[in-house]
Amino acid sequence: MLAYIIRRVFQSIIVLLAVGLVAFSMFRFVGDPIEQLLGQERTVQDVERLREALGLNDPFPVQYAKFLGRAATGDFGISYRQSRPVAEIIAERAPATLELAFVSGVLALGFGIGLGVFTAIRRDGWAANIIMSASLIGVSLPTFLIGILLIYLFGVQLRWLPTFGRGDVVDLGWWTTGFLTSSGLKSLILPSITLGLFQMTLIMRLVRSEMLEVLRQDYIRFARARGLSAKAVNFRHALKNTMIPVITVTGLQLGAIIAFAIITETVFQWPGVGLLFINAVQFVDIPVMAAYLMLISVMFVMINLLVDILYVWVDPRLRIDGRHS
Amino acid sequence: MKLVLTAALLAAALPAAAADLRFAATSDPNTLDPNAGNSAPVFSLLGNVYEGLVRRDREMTIEPALAEAWEPLEDGDGWRFRLRQGVKFHGGQDFTAEDVIFSYERASSEQSDTSSWFAGVTSVEAIDDYTVEIRTEAPNPIFVDGIANWMMMDSGWAAENGAERPNIEQGNFATLNTNGTGPYMVTERQPGLKTVLTAFDGWWGEDRGNVTTATFTPVQNSATAVAALLSGELDLIEPVPVQDAERVDATDGVNVIRGIEARVIMLGFPHDKDTLLTGGENPFKDVRVREAVAHAINVPAILQTVMRGSAEPTGQLVSATTRGYTSGIEQRAYDPDRARELLAEAGYPDGFAFSFKCTNDRYLNDEAVCTAINAMLAQVGLKPAFETVPVANYWPALRADEHDMYLLGWSPGTFDAEHPIRFLVSTPNEEKLLGSWNFGGYSSPRIDQLLPGIQSEIDEEARQIMLDEVANIVADDVAYVPLYIQPLIWGVRDGAEVIQRPDNFLNIRWINLPE
Amino acid sequence: MSALRTAWDSDLAYSFRRSPVAVVAAFVTLLLVLAAVFAPWVATTNPFDPASLNLMNGFSRPGEPNAFTGESFFLGTDDQGRDVFSTILYGMRISLFVGFMAVLFALVLGVFLGLLAGYVGGWTETIIMRVADVQLTFPSILVALLIFGVARGVIPIEHRDQMAIWVLIIAIGLSDWVQFARVVRGATLVEKNKEYVQAARLIGRKPMAIMLKHILPNVLSPVLVIATISLALAIIAEATLSFLGVGAPPTQPSLGTLIRIGQDFLFSGEWWILFFPAVTLLALALSVNLLGDWLRDALNPRLR
Repeated sequence: MLAYIIRRVFQSIIVLLAVGLVAFSMFRFVGDPIEQLLGQERTVQDVERLREALGLNDPFPVQYAKFLGRAATGDFGISYRQSRPVAEIIAERAPATLELAFVSGVLALGFGIGLGVFTAIRRDGWAANIIMSASLIGVSLPTFLIGILLIYLFGVQLRWLPTFGRGDVVDLGWWTTGFLTSSGLKSLILPSITLGLFQMTLIMRLVRSEMLEVLRQDYIRFARARGLSAKAVNFRHALKNTMIPVITVTGLQLGAIIAFAIITETVFQWPGVGLLFINAVQFVDIPVMAAYLMLISVMFVMINLLVDILYVWVDPRLRIDGRHS
Repeated sequence: MKLVLTAALLAAALPAAAADLRFAATSDPNTLDPNAGNSAPVFSLLGNVYEGLVRRDREMTIEPALAEAWEPLEDGDGWRFRLRQGVKFHGGQDFTAEDVIFSYERASSEQSDTSSWFAGVTSVEAIDDYTVEIRTEAPNPIFVDGIANWMMMDSGWAAENGAERPNIEQGNFATLNTNGTGPYMVTERQPGLKTVLTAFDGWWGEDRGNVTTATFTPVQNSATAVAALLSGELDLIEPVPVQDAERVDATDGVNVIRGIEARVIMLGFPHDKDTLLTGGENPFKDVRVREAVAHAINVPAILQTVMRGSAEPTGQLVSATTRGYTSGIEQRAYDPDRARELLAEAGYPDGFAFSFKCTNDRYLNDEAVCTAINAMLAQVGLKPAFETVPVANYWPALRADEHDMYLLGWSPGTFDAEHPIRFLVSTPNEEKLLGSWNFGGYSSPRIDQLLPGIQSEIDEEARQIMLDEVANIVADDVAYVPLYIQPLIWGVRDGAEVIQRPDNFLNIRWINLPE
Repeated sequence: MSALRTAWDSDLAYSFRRSPVAVVAAFVTLLLVLAAVFAPWVATTNPFDPASLNLMNGFSRPGEPNAFTGESFFLGTDDQGRDVFSTILYGMRISLFVGFMAVLFALVLGVFLGLLAGYVGGWTETIIMRVADVQLTFPSILVALLIFGVARGVIPIEHRDQMAIWVLIIAIGLSDWVQFARVVRGATLVEKNKEYVQAARLIGRKPMAIMLKHILPNVLSPVLVIATISLALAIIAEATLSFLGVGAPPTQPSLGTLIRIGQDFLFSGEWWILFFPAVTLLALALSVNLLGDWLRDALNPRLR
């Protein structure tokens, strides 16, 4: 077991290095950062001086090596766009994304499990069928459109909820939270629905199919035959046994929520790392792009590692079947 | 990273109808250092915080700011400025000639992005605490116009905080902190998220509205900004997308303010290369082909539909609000038959293939405008290979000469007709910083000959004659096809009084908000 | 004829006939696909032909004559004066083409790598699965930007308008193969220890033949389900990339590009530019998703 984990950690490090290399080889295709750093009255000398100062004249493997050398000490360089340390910027933006991802995850999990159980128990009921079909609407439109429609309906027409941003946040020193103010909480509603909708549908379907499967297992039938109440059977026995795949998938999806919050954050002007990344692409802010990608990789690699370890732990035969992705 | 000035500075009492302004624009200034960024978003925001020797009034005319008066030096080679006395920086320091000398050294240093403003300056000297002489190589009639964004920084403050020079690549104290003499001071700065300005009580001027605090939020997606304006979360947004202007104006509680930006949108040609990107010889060398393009484009139709009647057509590289504008040069009329005729005369009756590049995130509705132009070119038989790219890829491609026909917008930084001549039509010359945006390599010996005269002629009338000649050559040669002047459309809360200038700067001191 | 008969009597067909949702979804999907395929005959104009457009027709309301030209379009026109109905049909062609090709690309790549990883194991497996991890890390937007950048350097200018479509296919396909690979690998791990595979190995069949002829057919059900759902996701992903500025070219708008253009006119009152393409996309993606849903249940023997 320990050997397995060590091997996986080692592989994970190689994955990270590969991500970095791919990332650096692609940055020059995103554009030239100098163009947006200097104004229209720039001189050729200005351009050359800045290019040299930013190390853009180095070939990309050299840029990558320099980045790695610094990143190893926790220094992700200085943002071209904001002229301050990238680590500082990301630390400042992370709470917004993490809070949004957390609320979306809770919504997705809560509604997903609830509706999943319901549709499994009432498998052939009309309500279950309507829920099953309706839930697909949420995954049949692009996220940005769902966001814009929600803004239009609840922000502009009804004026119930804020249309952009995080509202008032409370600064705890190392963390800013929107959970402690009413405008902060209201601001969370639309973006978290937009972001969580897809995962909710996914979890609901997963819970339903796992439940259906568990419900026809012998021990459930015996439990029923023993005269246990439907509630006890459904929740104490069946639901419990569906949880392991649900947890692993949710874990993977949490990564996806954070990584793909980009769209939601852009639509709602949510001040998180996704918006930061989109801005970085726009302004060819290489240090920010690099740091963001490395962070997302670390996150994915760690989640994958945990999931795989969990599987080994649950099933010693290392039988990794369908991850329901 | 937040910075909050001490409460004592903020607590001061302000006029009765004090109001808070919440405003949004698409881009955040990338720095608060007036010498580390040379772009409209930077100067628009910093214009409320820092001040120059001179500034522009509501009509864009130069007026005294930190200099009360100025005059040409006796020999003509430079200017003498008499400084305003009793001016204080936000930090309490006095503004004196020493700060002007320091600000000159800082703004013209090699680390600065504004050094080209001082290209012809030979010396800046303090005659006494409140008199400064700036000497130039030759008489320079537009020098004063060129320094309206040259902002004065306190030398002591910069030295204390290690910000004597701007630092574009690493940033320094002045990237996030300010100490100007202007009507507002920055009291909170979260780059990319939020910037709060608070009225400065010690400001020397009087012309200030009722805004006591102003919160700026960059909102990239203009639909999001419109939604926030309509729902009352913002008091002012710029820009309102042209298509939304009418609807926003018709909505209760909000208004639209329209104006004309100084930015001219035009098409550029490959003038100096022999083969096009698509292969084959370069037909654009023939003026008849360029003229055919001008006749092929139905600018009124573009303005009517895509721009919703919000923009004005133009036949030259500057708008009528610009100093040195030449009257009487009209846009070539839409005449597809004439275009086909010209193409046939030039030997291309069946048209030819070429690359047509456009931005899709730089100018108002740029992609839609270009899509329409693409169709119009096809209608006279041309075969454009049309491509839209984000601006991050666009300029590098143009600089690398990977273009045939292309879209360009130009706003003259000095608000003088000399500016586009220097940057867009002079024969490219890296050393003299001439033609640095003349991607097509247009070249006219006569224009090159006239430019030095335009740059040094003090006599307005003689200068205008030269400017007129250049404008006519550019039009006759169809060096570019000027299309229209980009509109300015701001959305504001009902009852808000706002002044809109063609440079698209937001002067908070001219804003009055209703209770 | 007998093959048809057999197909009709199969369990799958029986389950299909019994599910009204599946029948309706299949009908809608078929209708839309046919409309797209035969767009040049169904559409009233060819919106991809720039020479035929009249900008002054722009923003015509559905069914009302245009104020300048007097022409009338029953679903209205967009900002370029293109007939919305025709543009939807042509756009759907692009969307479906991108969707099909991207899924095909992801499927072939994913299934092959998944089989290889599961069957061969060892270092091959490690490398493939770690490459999958790298792949998951990259937002498809960045993959698209990268490929756009490379393609711009490589492809001659006159083929650039076609390029965007292929870039989209590769970008979406690349971000999608991982799930095929994972599922196939998982299934292969199970199958390879079964007796029939061991028997094939004993009689000396080559690994490639075992993988393709013996294992592949037995892992195809989940692949089919994923492919169906991926098709819907790919069509939507194309729309999302378009929103981020790397979609189909503006002269050949896909359904997604149309929606991206249309959402600019949501506040200004030209609702039809967004509404009709959005409804079409919803109908298409929803029916494909419903089919995928039905297929998932129908192919899962344990749920019958």
